[in-house]
Amino acid sequence: MIFEQLSGNLLQGLVLGSVYGMATMGLSLIFGVLQVVNVGHGAFIMVGSFTSLMMFQALGIPPIFAIPVALAIGMALGMLFYYGAVKPLVSPSGSGIRRLDPKAMGIGAAVFIALMVIVRALSAAFHLHFAITLFVGLIFLYGFLLYIYGGRRQEKAAELATLLVTFSLGVILEEVVKQIFTSEARGFHWDIGKLDLGITVLPYTKLIASFGSLAIAILLYLWFRKTRAGMAMRSVVEDDVGARVCGVNVDWQYALSFSLGIGLTVTSGVLLTMFIPVGINPYMGGPYTLKAFVIAVLGGLASPYGAFFGGLVFGLVENGSYTLFAQFPGLEPFAMTRFFSFVMLLVILLIRPTGLLRVK
Amino acid sequence: MALLKVENVTKRFGGLVAVDNMSFEITHGEMMAIVGPNGAGKTTMFNLINGVFPADEGRMIFEDLDVTTFPAYKRAHLGIGRTFQIPRPFASATVRENIAIGGMFGAAGAEISVDRAMQLADHYIDLIGLREHRDKPAGGLTPTEKKLVEIARALAMKPKLLLMDEAMAGMNPRDIDEMVSFIKEIRDTEGIAIVSMVEHIMRAVAGLAERVIVMHQGALLVDESTQEALSDPRVIEVYLGHPPEETHA
Amino acid sequence: MRPVKEYYPMLPVFLGYGILLGIGIFVPGKWQLISQLAFYCALGQAFNLFMGMTGYVDFGYVAFLGVGTYGMAVSIFYLHDKGLGIGLIAIGLILAAVFSTLLSLAVGAVALRLRGAYFAIATIGVNEGFRFLIEGARIWNGADGIIFSRHLRKAFGREFAMALSTQWADVLVFSVAVLAAALTLIYMRNKVGYALTALREDEDAAKVMGINVTRYKITAFITSAVLAGLLGATAWALKLTYVYPEDVFEIHYTVEAIIIVLLGGAGTLLGPIVGGLIYGISKYYLSIVLPGFQLLIFAPIIIMIIVLFPEGTVGILKKRVFGTPLEKYII
Repeated sequence: MIFEQLSGNLLQGLVLGSVYGMATMGLSLIFGVLQVVNVGHGAFIMVGSFTSLMMFQALGIPPIFAIPVALAIGMALGMLFYYGAVKPLVSPSGSGIRRLDPKAMGIGAAVFIALMVIVRALSAAFHLHFAITLFVGLIFLYGFLLYIYGGRRQEKAAELATLLVTFSLGVILEEVVKQIFTSEARGFHWDIGKLDLGITVLPYTKLIASFGSLAIAILLYLWFRKTRAGMAMRSVVEDDVGARVCGVNVDWQYALSFSLGIGLTVTSGVLLTMFIPVGINPYMGGPYTLKAFVIAVLGGLASPYGAFFGGLVFGLVENGSYTLFAQFPGLEPFAMTRFFSFVMLLVILLIRPTGLLRVK
Repeated sequence: MALLKVENVTKRFGGLVAVDNMSFEITHGEMMAIVGPNGAGKTTMFNLINGVFPADEGRMIFEDLDVTTFPAYKRAHLGIGRTFQIPRPFASATVRENIAIGGMFGAAGAEISVDRAMQLADHYIDLIGLREHRDKPAGGLTPTEKKLVEIARALAMKPKLLLMDEAMAGMNPRDIDEMVSFIKEIRDTEGIAIVSMVEHIMRAVAGLAERVIVMHQGALLVDESTQEALSDPRVIEVYLGHPPEETHA
Repeated sequence: MRPVKEYYPMLPVFLGYGILLGIGIFVPGKWQLISQLAFYCALGQAFNLFMGMTGYVDFGYVAFLGVGTYGMAVSIFYLHDKGLGIGLIAIGLILAAVFSTLLSLAVGAVALRLRGAYFAIATIGVNEGFRFLIEGARIWNGADGIIFSRHLRKAFGREFAMALSTQWADVLVFSVAVLAAALTLIYMRNKVGYALTALREDEDAAKVMGINVTRYKITAFITSAVLAGLLGATAWALKLTYVYPEDVFEIHYTVEAIIIVLLGGAGTLLGPIVGGLIYGISKYYLSIVLPGFQLLIFAPIIIMIIVLFPEGTVGILKKRVFGTPLEKYII
């Protein structure tokens, strides 16, 4: 009886863990190539979840088919954010202040005003709040200033800087989604039956999510090992100077890795909704960011495969510890499980920060 | 007693043996050079002496004290100073503050107050002739000026042993001459043992070293006076790749 | 100690806070805004002491505010009937300091060995982990929190309790701000500050120069944590007279602290004041004019500052006054 319960638990943990793992692969990829920790990780997962939600509710398309859409959205966002906010910090092409020649300033100011007029007109037409105009205005202003200043390389500050930038990008995503969808929690219902294994019951949706995660992980592995593009990316992880010398366009690899990492993260949001199709709201990402950190550290921050296996381990442990804590009447199992995951994090950071699992 | 005794020190990085069972001694006030082509292990050896990372095997003894397990800052307190090939002054601190930091935390640091360290810094600023840049952030200086600040900062630490990492790199011949006589002057007035690290043995000949240690693939090749090393066939082989023909008498 | 003239930069600090206090007292209706501004400035000063001076980002910083709040709450809740008078508050402050010291030692032992991104991740873990520990193990009433307004009234009588909870709490917040500024300047002008500058710029070179970086990191870390604890005890516990774990461990306070320090200029003395004022005033007016949109507006501004103006307002100001007599005061 206990054995059955335990193995049922184990299986559930593995299935959950595979989705967790897949969700973390993007984080590890970005860190491995760019040394950037995407603190806004959860927000990107949220975007994927909303994509899945919208496609299902508005178009009646089941989440499986939302995967490629999510991937595309994610990669587009990744490119935009990379060139807009991350590149100036990690690989700036300017060396500081450009010549502020009057012509550039004039053109810039004219474009800015024109854009603002258009935005104002549009928002008036759609009855959008003034804040939206202000927001868009800020973005344009930022873009303009970025063009003039070109970003500066700050060595020590670069770590702090990218942390804060990725965090802010996450916040922007959350707030924009909130403006469009409000902060109420939504969900959908996609039931295609379950698989009864005796020891436990697995809805097919969860199974699909799990296999989907595994499939993506395998595809990624093959891509890195077998394709030219994948090997180019790996070369940058190993030695970016060496890669440059071999003719690899390192900066493009950075952009590609970042965008791929974001793409994977957004995609995992879709897989997540196959698991938990409820509670979808703009701020759902927070707990997942934290779980992803623990998983990433478990598997070695720089290794996407490590992240996947780390996810499996984490899924097992999370499930197991919940059951364990539930045995004690004086404890809140949900909160204690979360606490335990952080103890795990700190312990690993203390004894083996490069990750428990050595997978390249 | 010797200033520094390196005994059978080995350091590995993964499968690579960067420093292979090296042993040598440095005496007080000596001018010496560690020479070797790129990849010979010189930087690793410097880092081991400094305490940037610990050796895998062997011992290091500084004035009869076993410092093998001492972290870098403790070794600095004992009197080991270091300059880097690409100067690393603290960019946002002024020249004066940079040098004062050396004084505040170096060998005499425990007794020196901040004000005293500033006075000390002024003394060294005059020595290197950068008076007019005293209160400027060190980040804005030219590479040569930064180099001088590095050296002054290391000197302010009142070291007994100064490790100078490719001090001449990127300098033109006239500056090199000035630098060499400056270094000699330091040794004479302050009694510091100066170990330079150079890639090419000819630079050592330029007055920097009375004695050289030539490293090859992590191991000690020769340990003899500069003059002897210049005509040592083993050394020539390392640099030319084959034993010397009969070239000169 | 250094000669007195080294501490002249405290003058603009006193001036700034004095003016703020003055406006609060003499301009009718502005007290609420002023007390908010004081909180932000104090938060910035305390946070700046660690993040600004070492360059490490403690993403779990709010945990120190949280345990400080609990320190005061616990004191008032359990000791209100022991007839301690004003000592009750003093004990609350001491407990706040003790709790935050203990937590910072525990965190520091793990996190301070780590660099950059790992440090940030470890500290996020602390914040969340501690909150879930309190909720999970039902420490101090767990998720139900502690409400101690009644206990405060019992200990001091209605009127005085009211005064404590309002004016006196704010005065204490100002005091924490000034204390934090003073400590920052003291550190800056003595060996501690130089060690921190060195390790912020180049940790490896600093070690080789003889600086025991771990020791100085811990010093800055604990100081910053204790100040946060005191701030939580005063601005949160004393003012609100209740504490819930989900409130006091909210990560957005850490984010606000980061914004304030960056806006003003990390590692400068006056930065947090300037940052606190700009942020506090902007937030206040944004919440009136554009309620619900604050984050949407602030997030791109943060990115702008980080990418384009990393040295912050005072940082830029410092460069402008370099070479003029003002440079002694703007640091």
